[in-house]
Amino acid sequence: MTLEDNFNFHSKEYIFSNDNFLSKERENIFNKIKLKDFDKKNNESLKNISFSDLSLFNYCYHSTDEDPNIILQDKYIYKINIVNGVCKNYEDENIEIRNVTNLDSKKFADQNGNNIDDLVIDFNKIFLNSGIFINVKKNSKLKLDLLHTTYKNYTIFQNNIFTFQDNCEVELQDEFNLSNNTINNINYNIQVNNKSVVKHNVFQNFSNSNKLYLTTNTVCEKDSSFSQNTYNFANGFVRNFHYVELNGEFANATLNGCFFLKDKNLCSNKTHIVHNSENCESNQTYKGILNDYAKANYFSNTFVSKNAQKTEGYQLSKGILLTDHCSFFSKPELRIFADDVKCSHGSTIGPVDESALYYLRSRGINKNEAMKMLIASFIEDDLKNLNENIANKINQNLSDYLSSLR
Amino acid sequence: MIFLNINNLNVSIEGKKILDDFNLTINQGEVHAIMGPNGSGKSTLANVLAGNEDYEINSGKIIFKDLNLLDLNIEERAQKGVFLAFQYPVEIPGVNITPFLQSSINSKLKNAKKPELDNLSFAKLLRKKAEELGINTDMLKRSINTGFSGGEKKRYEILQMSVLNPEFAIFDETDSGLDVDALRIVTEGINKFKNEKNSFLIITHYQKLLDYIRPDHVHIMRNGKIVKSGDISLAGEIEESGYQNI
Repeated sequence: MTLEDNFNFHSKEYIFSNDNFLSKERENIFNKIKLKDFDKKNNESLKNISFSDLSLFNYCYHSTDEDPNIILQDKYIYKINIVNGVCKNYEDENIEIRNVTNLDSKKFADQNGNNIDDLVIDFNKIFLNSGIFINVKKNSKLKLDLLHTTYKNYTIFQNNIFTFQDNCEVELQDEFNLSNNTINNINYNIQVNNKSVVKHNVFQNFSNSNKLYLTTNTVCEKDSSFSQNTYNFANGFVRNFHYVELNGEFANATLNGCFFLKDKNLCSNKTHIVHNSENCESNQTYKGILNDYAKANYFSNTFVSKNAQKTEGYQLSKGILLTDHCSFFSKPELRIFADDVKCSHGSTIGPVDESALYYLRSRGINKNEAMKMLIASFIEDDLKNLNENIANKINQNLSDYLSSLR
Repeated sequence: MIFLNINNLNVSIEGKKILDDFNLTINQGEVHAIMGPNGSGKSTLANVLAGNEDYEINSGKIIFKDLNLLDLNIEERAQKGVFLAFQYPVEIPGVNITPFLQSSINSKLKNAKKPELDNLSFAKLLRKKAEELGINTDMLKRSINTGFSGGEKKRYEILQMSVLNPEFAIFDETDSGLDVDALRIVTEGINKFKNEKNSFLIITHYQKLLDYIRPDHVHIMRNGKIVKSGDISLAGEIEESGYQNI
């Protein structure tokens, strides 16, 4: 189905279709895309995915008949099932969880963000059909396990708003249980208020008929901390675009990612951190292993505004190419407008270290096993900072990935 | 049975000839030392014996215990009992020493069709060997050579040799970068391991190392071949008057 057919046939089904302002905005965005009035040459949202891949799909969405449940374990672990973008409304002394309704249009109209020239976000705005609010109340310490389930052929365009009030300590985990032939365009707006600490673990593994476009926009206030670890073992296309604004003094953000690709898998990654305040620190590290004909890209950006003195901002990307046919494009960028900063970037992409391989083999370990040891060692340090459950899950997936190597 | 016989070996790298009709025979239980000026081909010899695939073997034979070593790849040679102690042991962050060495010894046992060691038996063996060599067992929790001093790296090579129990060990300039105390500790490790069943090829620039190890034969190598052979006194001559008169 063409973009126009999707837009016209389902125009009454989208969320906020009753809101004049948002409807107008939708139409403007739609016209911009229809007329191809966007940057086609240097558009990062079109890296490793073509415009036709983005725009040709069959819109399919119905609210679920299921009643997705929330299970509370040990008074602080919330297992939240999200089925086709919908969850159960819930509130207690720590948290408020609810689905977006048409009454929330004002909140969405006020959203702006970093996503200019991002066609994926444009599609999210046009076809928006679901969204979740989560408000974690002051001083709460808890763990949120989000399991996203999408039915066969469904197209999810979701926009979530999560707020972590002052002095919270939260571990947020996203997992995806996707059926077949689904599109999941999910955008998060995350607000981390003063002195809050949020650890966000994202785990992606699904079959190759699915597509996941995951975008997060996080704002960190004074003395807050946001750290994100993204692990992509998926066979389907994955886009991880993650943005942070450090707005309060002494805030810090870490955006880490690891991807493991094979066959003809594709993935597109971007991290972008804006320092708007003094004494903030940021780290962006993405690592990838690519086999067969896989292709990946990583754009990393650090922007230090004029008044963000005493900034520390570091970027690093590392890639291991296991064949001559796979490729990894890495583009680090630093834009610094303050003069008292420590910033760096580095990127190394290449085959497995031959001298290390020789050393291991010289001790009797066969080439295949030695290769697996070196690949596993590539993310060994990253696993140290994760909780045991997710570390075990990653180890299991890594082991499956390694056993699939020829 | 021939233990090790290198016969008319010609080796080049990127078209440049490094070993030129090289010949050497080592019997079981013997310690041979090779000395020679920089660029004479000593490290190339060590790497060719270990199976490094960067080198082109133009002609010749290496017979090791009735096997043509050139038919075996790097790991097969190690499994058959060849061990190379590296001049510059490679740092491999993230690969922990203990599971790595367990995989090494088990690959060797598997090749010999012997039962492999379980975690507990291996841990006991490793601890015993480390204690024998005066190596702090905390070191065994670390990644291979990562953050090790020069001396620690070489001691760790000795530990690996001791665990893997090879029949033929090659030491490639093991003394480089070692202070006197570290050199003594490393050579004591080699001497402890020496017996009538295993043989050594020690590559060095200096007599000091050989004073501690006392080789049975000393060879001088120049332009890719052995130009003079003798006993330990030959090392003394070199120390005194250099390679120019050889």
